[in-house]
Amino acid sequence: MIQDWRDVVQILLNGVMAGSLLMLPAIGFNCIFAVLRYPNFAVAGFATIGAFAGWVANAQWGLPAGVALMAAFLVAGAAGLLAEEAALKPLRPAGPLTVAIASVALTLLLENVVRFFFGNELRGYDLPVLRDWRFDGIRIGPQQLANTLYALATAGALFLLLAFTRLGRAMRAVADNPTLADIKGVDPDRIARVAVFIGAGLAGFGGMLIGLDTSIDPLTGFRVVLSVFAAAVVGGLGSIPGAALGAMVVGIGEEMSSVLLEPAYRTVTAFLAILLVLMLRPQGLLGARG
Amino acid sequence: MEAYLVAMLVFAGFYALMALGLNVIWGLAGMVNLGLVGFFAVGAYASALLTTKLMWPMPLGWAAGAALAAAAGAAMAVIVARLRGDYLAIVTLGFAEVIRLVASNEIWLTNGTDGISGIPGPWRGAVTPQEFNLVFLAIVWTAVAIGFLLLARLSHSPFGRVLRAVREDEDVAAVAGKPVLWFKVRAFCLGAAIVGLSGALYAHYNAYIAPDGFAPLLTIYVVLALTAGGVGSMRGAVLGAVLVLVLLEGTRFLAAAVPGVSPVQKAALREGIIALSLILLLRLRPQGLIPERTRTLHAPKATP
Amino acid sequence: MTAPILELRGLTRRFGGVVALDGLDLVVRRGTVTALIGPNGAGKSTAFQCISGVIRPDAGKVLLDGQDITGARPDRITAAGLVRSFQIARGIPRLTVLENLLLYGQHQPGEAVLGAIFSPAATRRREGALRERAVAVAARLNLARVLDNQAAALSGGQKKLLEIGRALMAEPRLLLLDEPVAGVNPTLAAEIAGHIAHLRDEGMTVLVVEHHMDFVASLCDPVIVMAEGRHLAEGDFRAIAGDARVQEAYMGRRAHA
Repeated sequence: MIQDWRDVVQILLNGVMAGSLLMLPAIGFNCIFAVLRYPNFAVAGFATIGAFAGWVANAQWGLPAGVALMAAFLVAGAAGLLAEEAALKPLRPAGPLTVAIASVALTLLLENVVRFFFGNELRGYDLPVLRDWRFDGIRIGPQQLANTLYALATAGALFLLLAFTRLGRAMRAVADNPTLADIKGVDPDRIARVAVFIGAGLAGFGGMLIGLDTSIDPLTGFRVVLSVFAAAVVGGLGSIPGAALGAMVVGIGEEMSSVLLEPAYRTVTAFLAILLVLMLRPQGLLGARG
Repeated sequence: MEAYLVAMLVFAGFYALMALGLNVIWGLAGMVNLGLVGFFAVGAYASALLTTKLMWPMPLGWAAGAALAAAAGAAMAVIVARLRGDYLAIVTLGFAEVIRLVASNEIWLTNGTDGISGIPGPWRGAVTPQEFNLVFLAIVWTAVAIGFLLLARLSHSPFGRVLRAVREDEDVAAVAGKPVLWFKVRAFCLGAAIVGLSGALYAHYNAYIAPDGFAPLLTIYVVLALTAGGVGSMRGAVLGAVLVLVLLEGTRFLAAAVPGVSPVQKAALREGIIALSLILLLRLRPQGLIPERTRTLHAPKATP
Repeated sequence: MTAPILELRGLTRRFGGVVALDGLDLVVRRGTVTALIGPNGAGKSTAFQCISGVIRPDAGKVLLDGQDITGARPDRITAAGLVRSFQIARGIPRLTVLENLLLYGQHQPGEAVLGAIFSPAATRRREGALRERAVAVAARLNLARVLDNQAAALSGGQKKLLEIGRALMAEPRLLLLDEPVAGVNPTLAAEIAGHIAHLRDEGMTVLVVEHHMDFVASLCDPVIVMAEGRHLAEGDFRAIAGDARVQEAYMGRRAHA
């Protein structure tokens, strides 16, 4: 229960750290949505794939966590690209909802590929055991802080890419108006591939961060998927800054609600956040389109 | 073997009811529902609780299960009806997860992950287990038959025509003088009620329900059933449900035949095959085995 | 002059910073085929959307026979007797032509769940009446031969005719036609003009948005010109064509483009 200001700071801090774990998958989801205009529910599967790729790199090959995160990004990105080209792209003419339904099946498929090779047991990364830091009664886990910094740095790198590179400008152009971008000599197909690679890669990176926070199993991605959607919807479907902001709002909201409700109901909070936003401001906090 | 077959046919009946329900919501009215299992769970828990805790008679419990699921469906339709389909997909998926969480955590009501046992079944105990299976087979397939007849009639009625119009172009349906939101709410309600009824029947057949039984996988099975049978076609929904059951059981034997894999790997193989079949089906035969057909109202000969 | 059937008073609508309708005043009189013309961006389409209830105006009033229908839902407006067509023919492609026509029929008890299941007799009776009407509408629009075809299989011109036919099925007092001859060959355009004139002679009122000036000249009186979201000029086609303000409005736009 809340007794003094330190409790409030602790909740906010925990919320920011929880939110930063949702941030990258949410950005990935919105990145794909912005360019391809369908909700790719397979972000859950990509997050799980990333978490396990990172685990192999870290716990089996002995690479440090920072390097393993790169592996998580690349493997999940590649899996995402492969899945998009082989399974989802041919369905695009049938409409976004058909693709969305297929992406649910895809997540199930990816989850079971992981289950087949790694089984259902929980696995942990090979990390040094660190004690929490304490400042005047406020606790911070060094690993959690590192995860937050990883997430913020990665999101920052993506913003720089989108803001200052030719590729980034092309991606924004396609997101704003695919037909117009086509006329301007941007190849929307190539941009779509890049968006899927980055989106799935970010989901994988985020999946490993979630694993670093706790442990992993084939349901790692699915367990947070509703919170990830909540972050994406709260921020505005298709908005990348929106996803970052939405993740923080959802993270802090879930943390605050767990003071009142059982921790198991974090996801319920996320769901209520979705409903609230849809009823009051369907375009989300930073979304332009309704 | 015979007992196994009867049990499988009972399950096919549950799937058929769910596929019929989904066909009203998705097939006719064009609203995705990725939270089907949530409505199934609402029906199951409502009927199980009312009959075990308040001692309601079973038929009343079944009706209550269907009604509660319908109410949840109406609420959902009102909230998201004005928004695009992708939001509906997210919200329904979330709804099912929330139901599962509530079922797992409100221990005072649902007994949490331990589940509810001792749910009564019609004449259970008075007859042999094999006879009970046959009784239930009759009950479920009677429900399927009634549901099918009513929905087929509805599908080919002016009501069904408006739902198809809403599915294809809401603006046109509105200008045609149809209150679009009201049509969507009714379709969602009706579909959810049938799915809820299926859940209620399942609870009383199984005698035991727990949150684990309501995983999202079940939604995928039903989406697969409807896609296989033919979205928009009521006959397709029933046929698809039977096919999915055959596929599910077929993969069980298939996975058993693969040498050198652990039980977990077998389960993974089965679920993987199901997922893959849905993706392939959407790609190769999206119209299903029995494509949707509006009952062709041949124009009467013009009289001079 | 006949009595007004439709009146717009100070209709205003903004999209973001753009003012699409800027206090539009307009009167359509009973029994006329009134044209609404103007350069691109004058606000004609927005006016149509506001009148038919697809979008809400920010300010102003829409009166149908003196009854305030401002911001009412499209289905209510249709029930009140004002039916619009769509510019890009938007038939329900997977329904047949007959079914598309029947869809626009009103007062069908079979559109209620219980009615559809439990009152088959009432449903069938109404369906029979609507079908008779649909066959008659199809006959007058030369669609009789394609009644059982899917709407998707129609030619461009037939789709335009179906747009008009569907609207007629709702038994409107006032018909709003959005570019009924855009992209249609001259022969068919003349045929469509003939259909509309015929409807007028039977007492129907029609408001048409159209760019095709021969069509407007031959059929419409009066002609109302819009520019920059407002009523600019009104009169018969000759008077309008000679109006300096109208020429400027069209020319001014062209100079910009």
